[in-house]
Amino acid sequence: MNEEIRAVQAEMERCGYVAEPEIATAVFLAREMRKPLLVEGEAGVGKTEIAKVLACMLDTELVRLQCYEGLDTHTALYEWNYQRQLLRLKISEREGRDPDGLEELIFSRAYLLERPLLRAITRKEGPAVLLVDEVDRADEGFEAFLLEVLSDFQITIPELGTIRAAHVPFVVLTSNRSRELSDALRRRCMYLYIEHPGLEKELRILRAKVPGASEQLARAVARFVQGLRARELRKLPGVAETIDWTSALLRLHRESLDGETVGATLGCLLKDAYDLRATGPEAIAELVAHAAEPG
Amino acid sequence: MLGQLARFAALLREGGVRVGLGDEVDAATALGLVDLLDRDEVHRALRIAFKVPREAWALYDRLFEECWEGVPAARGEPPSMAPPRDHRGPMQWKWDGSRVRLTAAEDDADEAPDGDAPGYSPEPMLRGKPFEQCSIAEIAALERMLARLAPRLAARRTRRLVPVRGHGHVDLRRSLRGALGSEGDLLRLARRARALEEPGLVVLYDTSGSMDGYTRMLLAFAFALRRTIRKVEIFAFNTTLVRITRMISAAQIARSLERLAAEVPDWSGGTRIGACLAQFNARFRDAVINRHTTVMIVSDGLDRGEAAVLGSAMRELRSRAERVIWLNPLLGDSRYRPEAEGMRAALPYVDHFGSAHNFESLAGLLRHLA
Repeated sequence: MNEEIRAVQAEMERCGYVAEPEIATAVFLAREMRKPLLVEGEAGVGKTEIAKVLACMLDTELVRLQCYEGLDTHTALYEWNYQRQLLRLKISEREGRDPDGLEELIFSRAYLLERPLLRAITRKEGPAVLLVDEVDRADEGFEAFLLEVLSDFQITIPELGTIRAAHVPFVVLTSNRSRELSDALRRRCMYLYIEHPGLEKELRILRAKVPGASEQLARAVARFVQGLRARELRKLPGVAETIDWTSALLRLHRESLDGETVGATLGCLLKDAYDLRATGPEAIAELVAHAAEPG
Repeated sequence: MLGQLARFAALLREGGVRVGLGDEVDAATALGLVDLLDRDEVHRALRIAFKVPREAWALYDRLFEECWEGVPAARGEPPSMAPPRDHRGPMQWKWDGSRVRLTAAEDDADEAPDGDAPGYSPEPMLRGKPFEQCSIAEIAALERMLARLAPRLAARRTRRLVPVRGHGHVDLRRSLRGALGSEGDLLRLARRARALEEPGLVVLYDTSGSMDGYTRMLLAFAFALRRTIRKVEIFAFNTTLVRITRMISAAQIARSLERLAAEVPDWSGGTRIGACLAQFNARFRDAVINRHTTVMIVSDGLDRGEAAVLGSAMRELRSRAERVIWLNPLLGDSRYRPEAEGMRAALPYVDHFGSAHNFESLAGLLRHLA
């Protein structure tokens, strides 16, 4: 393996992220080629975490833009501080100031509210990490707008003029694939698909994230969750759920798994009523037995 | 090296993965950054740089072996011959012996309609002819007719309007700009409202053996819809369910079908409709269906599984979607009665039960999709 990729992998581990070669390669390539990294995968496989780890590695600020249906440029880019503007107008009216300079004043940077995209490109201290989370939830129109920002890294505010990026940020986009993203956006990015971790990786994650858990407990938990993911479920538990569950078991002072405890805490893993019902006592007993098998 | 990369990209395109010129440039840059002696690393890097979606990983692996390790193609023609047909980007890489050049792709000669003598229009006759009785040339003509259906649907698409008069959220930005003229007094409030949502369409295709005569036309129909309804998702099912939206392309229906037959397990096999719909509900429903979505199931309803499973899956599906349409090609036969157990279990949850055996029936369906 390329030495630099190995270094990226080690850096990510230092920041608490267990990265397989695939992930380290993607981060390395995106960083070297100065391209956004598009990360896809099921919920809870650690997509968002990549951006946080990247910020930790580069020792910089993480600027997060959470996407949702109806997200518009006012929330993503900038907004004028209308309250202050109105106040200023009223004060000026009383003071009887000349109205020509007024417009320039109330449409100056002091009255501008920075939203994540603007914040990410105007950070002075160095490039920020911009996380555009769950971009598939935003409308397609917003996606097109995002594309424009990501290609030029400059933003035009009609009242102010064009603001160029002081430093081009590192961009990480995540998607749960609730809809297909446009080809244009995919092409602008490097692409990484993360799957649910295998047993060994999950175990390593648990060791890193829940250091209080004994090796025995961590192994039993990882094997149990692996078995659970092989079942027909609506929402497979992600790594985040595994970590939560392990912490819960730790809090309950459990050193091993038993049917009763698992049944009582299964809500940490399964977040769907149908799945909970489908995983009855027999299924749990079976999974617990599987988890306890040596090797 | 670059020549081989271009060839690999062409193979991916042939296989239906949308690889553009920019992706090739990315891939070439990525190759410059990784350890070329490490096979796995090159494999990973190219998959990242070519942006290969998860569904196409199996194909990618096969082509990677074929192209970079000299393993001969498992089936069919030698890969490097025909120039790749990329109908999206007309430019492509060409290796002229000393350097890579950009050239325009040759026109596809075989796209031109064939067999239509001037002055003769086969359309009126074709409209009523059952698909399974059509010849290859007739099918090609029907596909063109289907493609022309699209604009009619387009007119019904909702317009995206943002600023509105009357009701809506107050748009402070525009209000304030207006207020500047009156020294800061907000005489008139500008408003805006959300643009209307474009309804989506989810198509679930039965590709079992009993549907063979219809599959091609019905896929062509889905492509026609896709040209105007942007949110179309297509799934194929028989014993298991596969999302095929991105595996197929409208320009190459025949080729897409071959690929699907190779990649979708049990193509032309038996059917477990209920189990497949349950699988759809579990894995994709929340992602692709909202309350504006029309679900179109295309199947003859000959289910080998239990009717109760189908019934409950249908109920769940119906509860989330705007409406459920079931197209059954057998309905074109006047002697047919929907008495198969599975069909009977599903019917209570179907808003529109229609036939889909000829062009006329598909054209008639459009008013249910508006």
